[in-house]
Parts: sequence; C-alpha cells; structure tokens
Amino acid sequence: MKPDPQAVLGYLTQSLLTEVAPKAQPPYLAGTIGMIGTALAVLTEEWDRAASRFVEENRAIRALFRRAETLSLDAALASELRALAGGDDEDLRISALDAGNGVLRRALIRLQTAIETRDDAASKALNDAIWAELVQSTERRKLTGSPF
Amino acid sequence: MSELTEDRIAAYIASRLPDARDVTVDKLFRISGGASRETYRMWLHYRAADGSRVDRPLIMRRDPPASLIDTERQIEFAAYRAFHGGAVPVPEMLWLEEDVSHLDYPFFIAEEIAGFEAAPGTILTEPYVHHRAAYGERKWTILGEIAKADPQALGLVGVMKPVAADETWRRELDYWEGVIDEDEIEPQPIIRAAIRWLRANPPPPAQKVSVVHGDYRTGNFLYDKEGGIHAILDWEMSHLGDPLEDLAWSINRIWCWAGDDLRGALLPREEAIAIWEASSGLKADPVALHWWELFNCVKGQGIWVSSAKAWTDGETRDPILIVSSWRLLNSQDRAALELMGRL
Repeated sequence: MKPDPQAVLGYLTQSLLTEVAPKAQPPYLAGTIGMIGTALAVLTEEWDRAASRFVEENRAIRALFRRAETLSLDAALASELRALAGGDDEDLRISALDAGNGVLRRALIRLQTAIETRDDAASKALNDAIWAELVQSTERRKLTGSPF
Repeated sequence: MSELTEDRIAAYIASRLPDARDVTVDKLFRISGGASRETYRMWLHYRAADGSRVDRPLIMRRDPPASLIDTERQIEFAAYRAFHGGAVPVPEMLWLEEDVSHLDYPFFIAEEIAGFEAAPGTILTEPYVHHRAAYGERKWTILGEIAKADPQALGLVGVMKPVAADETWRRELDYWEGVIDEDEIEPQPIIRAAIRWLRANPPPPAQKVSVVHGDYRTGNFLYDKEGGIHAILDWEMSHLGDPLEDLAWSINRIWCWAGDDLRGALLPREEAIAIWEASSGLKADPVALHWWELFNCVKGQGIWVSSAKAWTDGETRDPILIVSSWRLLNSQDRAALELMGRL
C-alpha cells in the first residue's frame, strides 16, 4: 500500500495536532481533536510493530508452557498448557494474533499462580522466566512519550 | 431529551433562587474538565432581593451517559462542601440536582474559580515550569491537610461509608479487583500478580481513618503562574480510608508527566513524602507506603480497563477513553513492575 500507511498516519496526526486543534473552537472541541490526534499517534506507532510484537510474545509464552511440562501441575492445567504450547500463529491478521495472545496470557496467569509460591528450583526458575517475559512484554508495548 | 441550553439552566437556577429576579445565563460552553463528568462554563446574571445586580461565573458538571469512573455525586458534593472555607482550597458548591427532569442527567453547579490553569502539560511550559518546586510544596502540604482533617468534624462520617483502620486495605483492594474482574477485556498478568502479592502481604492498620480524596494528582488542581494552588478539584472518588492511599496515588510513577523521576512532574518522591509528613503530622511508614503504592497500580489499572470497556461497549465514544487506556495501561504495568523489583 502506497503511500506508506505509517507515513500517512503520521502526517495526519501532525496536521490534526499542530494545525487543526489550535484553531478549533470552543476549547472543548480543541481538546477532543487533540485527543483524536493522540490516539492516531499511538496507531501510527503500532501500525508497523503490532504483528511482530504479537508473534514474538506468543512464541515466548509457548516456550514457557513447554518448560512447564517438566513440573507437576494440576492435570487440567497441564493439559491446557500442552495444547497451547503446540499452537502457532498461522493467521497473521492483527485481530487473530491479538485473540491468540489473550488466550495465552490468561493461561500464563494460571501457570504463574500455580507455581509462584513453590520452593523447588525448577518452579523458581520458571517463575523468574515468566517475570522476565512480563518485563519484555511491557517493553514491547511501550509507547513513545509515555509518562513512564 | 432536549438540547442543553442557557434558558433551561436559567430556569433551573431561578427555581432554586425564589427571591431572584431576571435570572439569565449566557456564555455557556463545554470545556475539558475530567473524564467522569461533562463540564460546562457559564455566566449567571440576576437581580437580588435588595435590587443589586449579581453576575457570577459558574461551572456545571453533569453526568454523561457513561463515565471513566463510577462515582457517587452526593459524596463528591458533600466533600467539596465540607472542606470549603478551610485549609484545603475548593470551589463553593451551590446546587446538586439528581432529578433528571431538569437537565436530562444529574448535575451540580459550583462557583468558577476563574483565571487559573489545570492541565498537567501546561505546568511544564513557561512561566509555570520555573515554579514546579513551589507547586509541589503547596500540593503535598494541602494533601497533608486533607489527611490531618477529622472526618467526624467535617460532617462526612454519615455521608461516606465507614471503615475500620485495619480494613481500609481490604475494602479498597476488593473493590478495585472487582472492577478489573468485571471490566477487563484482555488479561492483565502483571496486575493479577500484584493483587496476589498484596493479599499475601497486607499493610499495617491505618494510623488514622481520614478523608481520602481518591484522585489527588497534578491535573486535578487549579494553579497560578507563581507557584500557587487555588483549588483542589475532582473529589468524585473521595471516601474514608488510609491517608497513605492518597499519598501513594499522588506519587504514582504514571504521573511523571515530564518523563523524568519528578512525581507529579513537580518534586522527587522523598521530598514529596517529607512535605506530606510535616503537614499531616503523620508518618509514611515505608512498608505501608509501598503496599499502597502497589495497590494504586491496581486501582489505576482498574480505571484504565474500565475506560477501554466503556468505549468498546459503546457506552461513550469520548476519545479520552481510548487515549487513557492505550497510553496508561502500559505505564501502569511498568510502575507495578518497578515496585515489585522486576524492572
């Protein structure tokens, strides 16, 4: 698609924020246009990276589920994790990747809840690996200009 | 439902001022004023019983079809009234109306404290940016006054739900976990881990049960160009609780608007705490404060997931709901990770 969608979104965002919003009246409308511009700025940043981010994250979570196969877990949870660990991201549409990511992150919460208070070395190591992935997930999602 | 007009508002005010004559309202327009209520600015004119002419700038806050924060407007109104005229600057509240026959939704009307700024971004621009330390001194001094105040003497004990000093944490955590349970539309593994930690490591009982503003941050006060603060706004989440809840929210990392470590874009964390302690006469026990700081990440995430839900469900299409959820969910997660020693 040309012109490049990210460049188009970036241009439209700048126009809204620097040309349209300052001239808009009443002030509430200017504020609303500013908010729309800010939302567009987020979309501009996400456009190029979203699919890559989801695929990277989904792979990382499946790898954690494969590591969990060596642990003694509730049978239903173990079975769920095994099934999810064998999945893939064949459908690369953002909506499909997002839905798959949600399923994986829900299961990740259940896995961490099950192991985080255990004292054995394997559980501790897996819990540390889950935390490392959660840190990475926030880095992948970080937006330019965020307050923190 | 009819259009909100100056004549409709004037008719309502006339009904509340039976001795007034020639009541009119003009210069009505909506302003940006928080995500939980629609905010309007207007001028009221009338002739008083003694014949004198009254011209007064007013603010009206009206419930929208859906809001970022579900709140009790009677409690908010009572909190403003309780603090008016004391050490905590607030605008004077005039009328609270819950009968929707007047202006379609419940609303309240207050005096406008005109001529000041509220936007957090503006405080980082000329000439305000040179007075950030002064704003900070005033901001956390006022918060100390809120913490120091006696809820009984303020008449708020009968209005706000009572809570025992050793139950403040559980009530707030139960509430905000419930909000996340109900409203999250994507899983939140970091905040769920935080909730598990908070339940396993409860804080000590509150050193006193205070009025908690509930959303005390840069952006919710009116400031001048010389470092002064003239009104504390947005009391819609006020309640009785542990005063450390407010202190922790005020120093939450997500309010570091300048992108540095200055809390509320004003002061370093430790300076803010020291000012609050000196003003309130209370101690910010580090263990307890850490619990409340992490709790406030849960509370924040509760607000951001609710805004995402409200927009997704079509309850309201205000773009502030999109922006707040997109921009702050990640920052809130990062703040929680930092507090849990993972970042």
